[in-house]
Amino acid sequence: MRILIVDDEPVNRFLLVHLLQENGFTDCHEAESGEEGLRLAEKLVPDIVLLDVVMPGMSGHDVAPKLKALQRDTYLPIIFITAMDDEENLVQCLSVGGDDFVGKPFNKTILAAKLKAHARTRMLSKRAYQQNRELLFHQQHIEQEHAIVEHIFSNVLTINRSLAKFLDSQLAPASNFNGDMLLIERSPGAGLYVLLGDFTGHGLASAIGAIPVSRAFQTMSEKGIPVAEMAETLNKTLLDFLPDGMFFAAAIIEIGEDGCTLDIWNGGLPHLILFDINGNIKKRFESAHMALGILEPDEFESDTEHYEADLGDRLLGYTDGVIELCNEAGEMLTEEGLEAWISDMDEINTSQLMQKVEQFRADGEQDDDISMFIYAAQPLGLKKQIAALPSASFRLSIEVTHQNFGSANPVGEIIDLISGHAAFYGLRSNIFTVLSELYNNALEHGILKLDSQLKDSAEGFMAYFAQRETRIANLQQGWIRLNVTYDADAAQLVFTIKESGEGFDFDTWVSDADSEQCFGRGIALVKELTDSFVYLEQGTKAVATFSLVPHQ
Amino acid sequence: MSVERELSGDGKTLTIILDDKFDFSKVQEFRDAYAEDIESVSTVIVDLGHTEYMDSSALGMLLNMQKSLKEQVSDFQIVNSRPAVAKILQISRFDKKFTIK
Repeated sequence: MRILIVDDEPVNRFLLVHLLQENGFTDCHEAESGEEGLRLAEKLVPDIVLLDVVMPGMSGHDVAPKLKALQRDTYLPIIFITAMDDEENLVQCLSVGGDDFVGKPFNKTILAAKLKAHARTRMLSKRAYQQNRELLFHQQHIEQEHAIVEHIFSNVLTINRSLAKFLDSQLAPASNFNGDMLLIERSPGAGLYVLLGDFTGHGLASAIGAIPVSRAFQTMSEKGIPVAEMAETLNKTLLDFLPDGMFFAAAIIEIGEDGCTLDIWNGGLPHLILFDINGNIKKRFESAHMALGILEPDEFESDTEHYEADLGDRLLGYTDGVIELCNEAGEMLTEEGLEAWISDMDEINTSQLMQKVEQFRADGEQDDDISMFIYAAQPLGLKKQIAALPSASFRLSIEVTHQNFGSANPVGEIIDLISGHAAFYGLRSNIFTVLSELYNNALEHGILKLDSQLKDSAEGFMAYFAQRETRIANLQQGWIRLNVTYDADAAQLVFTIKESGEGFDFDTWVSDADSEQCFGRGIALVKELTDSFVYLEQGTKAVATFSLVPHQ
Repeated sequence: MSVERELSGDGKTLTIILDDKFDFSKVQEFRDAYAEDIESVSTVIVDLGHTEYMDSSALGMLLNMQKSLKEQVSDFQIVNSRPAVAKILQISRFDKKFTIK
């Protein structure tokens, strides 16, 4: 406790210092005048000031307000030293900022008691001041963090404007940062992807997981990854990323090019509702899975639900904040309550549903984020787009020789290699079918000379494949070369499959799709799936071409 | 196992679930999936929800299954096809022989 004594009388100062030291106040400083008192107060920052009233130069009454001004943020006790005989003087001491008096001559006991009392108040004041500063610092820190998150969110989580017209949506966060998220992206196949999700809890902590989810969703949408695979990837990402006990209930929806084909994965969200224009419920997409970020990859189930909606049908998705809303009586809305609204409403849109929500809640608290969207099945009119094509041409060859026909999987390897590029990813299924057909024809008919007629009966079918294995095992020679050429100028992928055998009369293999035969459909498929396809060199060489649409 | 089978509680519906690839490498497993415990089966559902890659040998296997079971099974369904697979089924007019959902 640092004490400053301001008195022009050396004898008073001496007495006071002595008395204070006896009572344990050892950090005492003396000033001979009001002016020196102010100078020292500025330098030393005293905790208590003992101040004489009558001094030459500045009086105690002049000095007191200036001392107070030096420590505006804390309480600085000022105790006047006075004869205590003049009422008017005492009143003035208090009015200029004094907090107490000690009379002359000094009473040891009273002086010590008063100093201790003021020391306590001073300590409290300093502590409060310190705590205020800390609070202020924390508050600024939090505001700064919120500003950063807001910035990230406004850049990461904005709904793609050109697609916003397809969704009618509402998001009402319970606090500044939304644990709910709604994303929409276009698919390369001229359809849409929609993701509606709800992180456990709300506010900043829950919203932070939104960043990796939205990035991964955008990237996967660009590649046209199927919903099931998206769910698997997001689950794995969140499992690695989210702390235990935090997870992400979500529905991922793919809308086909026609605007009506729906593929839906729902893990932990309330059921999505599909209703017709009159509000009749046609289908519920129940949550069939646990939320994302809980199960290990090998336990995770990615099954989706497939549905063909009719034009004009509406798909409603919402988070549990909606159905867990409570009215004033504490009753929850529930899924049934929400469905009852839908069948009663004339024109169903999310702003009207939100009004219903407000009416239902009345004065009840909003405890959770409330989000919903409605998609009306409509012709989307989107252009197919594929990712930018590689700018350089490339060539890739694989040769499989007779020792390896049994174990090699050249088609799978080519698919793995080229589907890594976003521009080819969307074609991977078609490329697989075509390559698999041509490779198997080359092997089974060109090299192994197997007879497809065998496949026509149930027993023969199995015998055919058994024969395939035996003949491969007994082969003494033969090879198949697969070539992939990407021509950047022509924007074409060309696959060439050449075999060492005698070729085969492919025309006889083509069967009518309506036939009952269990074989011969391959060539018809290849013709449909490629832009051009020919057999050359007596049927020993097949050339299939895929044209790629350059990025618009 | 990459081809899974599920028999409904009443034994009437057999569901066969394929993984991402349905080609000749699945011949034996697919055959095994409908080889046993099928006395009361009247509906067969082939779930292609996971299947991304398919070729004509898969079509052959499906038709072959239909031939083997047509005496007792009246309803053959193919469900959850992804777009690329659905297109192959459509090109091959499988909707005439299977109920495609």
